[in-house]
Amino acid sequence: MTLAERLARGPCLRLDGGLGTMLLARGLASGAAPEPWNVERAADVTAVHRAYVEAGAEAVQTNSFGGHPARLARHGLESRCEELNAAAVAAARAAGAAYVIGDLGPTGEYLPPVGKGEPDEWRRGFERQARALAQAGADGLHVETLSDLREARVALAAARLAAPGLPVLVSLTVERRPRGFFTLMGDPAVKALRALHEAGASACGLNCSITSADMAVVARQALDELPEVRLVFQPNAGQPEAVDGGWRYAQPPEDFARDLAPLSARAAALGGCCGTDPRFVAALARAVGAA
Amino acid sequence: MLPDPAAMCEAVVQGDAQAAERLARAAVDSDADLVAAVEQGFAAGLRRVGELWEAGDYFLPELVQGAEAMKAAMGVLLPALRGRTGPSRRGAVVIGTVAGDLHDIGKGLVGVLLAAHGFEVHDLGTDVPVEAFVARARETGARIVAASALLITTMQAQRELVRAVTAAGFERPPAVLVGGAPTSAAWAREIGAAWAENALGAARVALELTA
Repeated sequence: MTLAERLARGPCLRLDGGLGTMLLARGLASGAAPEPWNVERAADVTAVHRAYVEAGAEAVQTNSFGGHPARLARHGLESRCEELNAAAVAAARAAGAAYVIGDLGPTGEYLPPVGKGEPDEWRRGFERQARALAQAGADGLHVETLSDLREARVALAAARLAAPGLPVLVSLTVERRPRGFFTLMGDPAVKALRALHEAGASACGLNCSITSADMAVVARQALDELPEVRLVFQPNAGQPEAVDGGWRYAQPPEDFARDLAPLSARAAALGGCCGTDPRFVAALARAVGAA
Repeated sequence: MLPDPAAMCEAVVQGDAQAAERLARAAVDSDADLVAAVEQGFAAGLRRVGELWEAGDYFLPELVQGAEAMKAAMGVLLPALRGRTGPSRRGAVVIGTVAGDLHDIGKGLVGVLLAAHGFEVHDLGTDVPVEAFVARARETGARIVAASALLITTMQAQRELVRAVTAAGFERPPAVLVGGAPTSAAWAREIGAAWAENALGAARVALELTA
């Protein structure tokens, strides 16, 4: 079954969890771009993906969150865009997952008045990254953690153009505000998901920023109001908590799984974001199996 | 006599930089109390923007537009304030948002209010490494180093800043003033810094620290 078919028909696809924290644990310098590891430390990247596969993830998402040329440029790596994104797919493929999803993160730039982003430049960058991921053999693409619906639309259109035939998932990141769940730019969550669906996303959803408990709330709203849309949810492992000399995510995997498992009957895919690790994926797989 | 503080406030709430600049110019051209124009007019507007954010009515674009209107007004008011009071009555303040943190608005408001109260404000912007705070404090002979952090993941940098200022061996060490949503009086005590809950509080604490 292709990824597109699986997303369309179910059952709920088991995604992986956070990548960055696991790479930091293997020695990635804080603040350094993770993408060069796809070439220089490919075995470590594959090992992280494999840990997720062994925990029950059916799909792994490539180490290319910062693989947009505009983000790579901040580390002087723009010219390696194709190489690093292709290597991300190879490192993920070697982990033996049923599906490899090419991951695309935001440009890190904003439109006026917040920033000086140029949508045409964003589009060219997303096309470049999406093409590299697709040509390297990704089974689908996931544009994720976008905080502006407008950027998400640009990315979706670019990915569909550059990777014809591949399913494209799009996830926004939202915050819990006094009047509901909104992106940073003020897009209401459910309305924005509907817009992405209408713009041709194979599946769309929410990731990062919020806890599994808040995610369960907004996910139910979305599932109830958008029964025709294939939806994907990947919350964080709670909120970061200050601890002596630093911070950490402290949510027990069982709590995370308890919040998400009831969504599995209707969601297209479930997984984790920041702070989650293979224990969360395993706990979710157990909870879904028991549900 | 202050020309219409309500209009100044409203210009910031509406994010109307042109109106804010025009009102600031009118205040400068009159004999108005410019500190009052900042506090009762423009800064009150920015506080209202903050309240609208808290209430969930405003989002980032509105916050940024409000801050831009504030900046436009201050671009007119600050030179005039300096002209009236003379340079740096109260000494230099180095201010910034700590490394890894891009939150600009609260820190900007503190800078503006300190400037209105006669401090010579050196705003290093956001994502500022500890070393940059210390270096600029040395250059300017700052009496206060003020650091904002809006994230639990970045507030530890305030502790590092206190340590770095102590370790730098200033002849007359600047006070370290910290603030930002996740910070608290207890946190400031723990790391050995002064603390303010909000921008007006920061101006008050800064005045106390340099009294």
